[in-house]
Amino acid sequence: MFEETFMQNAFIAGTLISVVAGIVGTFVVARSYNFLSHSLSEIAFAGAAFGFFAGWPPLLGMVIFTILAALAIGGLENAQARQDNVTSAVSALAIGLGVLFLALGHTSNSAATGILFGSVLGISHADILILMGMAVLVLVVIFLFYKPLRLLSFDEAGLLVRNSKKTTLKIIFLIVMALSVSISSQLVGSLLIFVLVTLPAASARYYQGSVSALMALSVFFALFGTWTGLALAYLTNLPTSVFIAVIEVGIYLVSIWLSKD
Amino acid sequence: MAQQVEVSHFTAAFSDRVILNDVSFSIPAHQFTVIVGENGAGKTTLIKALIQTVLGAKTTGRGQSHHEQIRVNSQNLAYVPQFRDLGDDYPLSIASFVALGLKKGLRPWLTKTEKEAIQTALAQVDLADLAKQRLADASGGQKQRAYIAQALVQNPDLLILDEPTAALDANHALALVKRVRDLQQSRQIGVLWISHDTSWVKDFADDYLWLHDGQVDFGLAKDLPDHASSHHHQEVNHV
Repeated sequence: MFEETFMQNAFIAGTLISVVAGIVGTFVVARSYNFLSHSLSEIAFAGAAFGFFAGWPPLLGMVIFTILAALAIGGLENAQARQDNVTSAVSALAIGLGVLFLALGHTSNSAATGILFGSVLGISHADILILMGMAVLVLVVIFLFYKPLRLLSFDEAGLLVRNSKKTTLKIIFLIVMALSVSISSQLVGSLLIFVLVTLPAASARYYQGSVSALMALSVFFALFGTWTGLALAYLTNLPTSVFIAVIEVGIYLVSIWLSKD
Repeated sequence: MAQQVEVSHFTAAFSDRVILNDVSFSIPAHQFTVIVGENGAGKTTLIKALIQTVLGAKTTGRGQSHHEQIRVNSQNLAYVPQFRDLGDDYPLSIASFVALGLKKGLRPWLTKTEKEAIQTALAQVDLADLAKQRLADASGGQKQRAYIAQALVQNPDLLILDEPTAALDANHALALVKRVRDLQQSRQIGVLWISHDTSWVKDFADDYLWLHDGQVDFGLAKDLPDHASSHHHQEVNHV
């Protein structure tokens, strides 16, 4: 399996993505932004479709669209509207636009399926370099803002900064989320973003009591699902996302079940 | 004695309704001051203005008066807010929750000094034995003490608490008052405590700040007027 270049690339990409998703997911779940992460992935779908239409790399379209959406959602956060209603309006528009761009760009069905369900086995060496750059960027931003982001996610009431600084911090968080969603879409596709960004982090909450331990276990669950999923996809010739989804959901259900005792 | 808080000509209003009208007062350093007043009298608005001043925000209140000035002498302010929506599945242990209060520097892990500071803060609120327990599994009183420990670990020179005893029964509330009073005296810090319950004020506080009818009265706790607490029972029923 590892003598094949495409499998080597898939494992490298999967590892990078799992590390980012596990760490960022810990913050996303703590801040109860699960639904927002899914909406960002729908926006990523529209961005990728726009990329095909405009002749850009789909990942570039994803990054631009999700960052713009993150800024818009951050700007609307103080508006007189319920956040989940704003989010559902934005995702409905995004999916509509995605379908439009797919039609206008005469994008092939396989390319569209790749965006929605992931296409990690088709990832190239150049793609990995881009993913690596984005992953490093996300991790550096998290390192620089670790303590304020930790408070924003785990105890916003305890975050004592002036209001303007808090808004900036929220936007930084949304941009980190947008980048992570774009990165993770490369592996599991934009329809299955929960599988890597929220499920491993949600499962980890049943076992760990500190932020760093939550992150470590979340990364471990994400890596376990990704590596096992890639191996099973290679052996069975079925899509990788299926296996990763089943494994992560399985871990989550077992975690709930164990916690009942 | 130097003043810890100096407010002059402060006005606060929500749309058309003026809740604090051109108020001025000052609070000396290292005092335990209770802020009393009915719901909507402007207690939380006032402390938010004080906090934003310490944090370096440029605007204070509505700025309706050119003479408006707020000065807070605090290098290190800690605030225990009234509401904390952490949920029943909140994963952090009490010690990890307290560690969130350590906000300085980039280093993501804890130094030996920081670990000791967490232990000290936990011991001061009598939670040392429960350090590893999940905060979500703690009782209401233990949660309040954990919130206060998170504030103490920042080593504040001014501690502001917004209704910390609202969810506690009378005995636990009084125990918390005594504990904070002890800490305030041993650490020589200033405490601003918003409270509906004024039954303990004369025994454990130094001063009071009474917000009513758009005005602020400041005085020694032992002189707290009886009618400053007259609405207490009525309001507790609403909570």
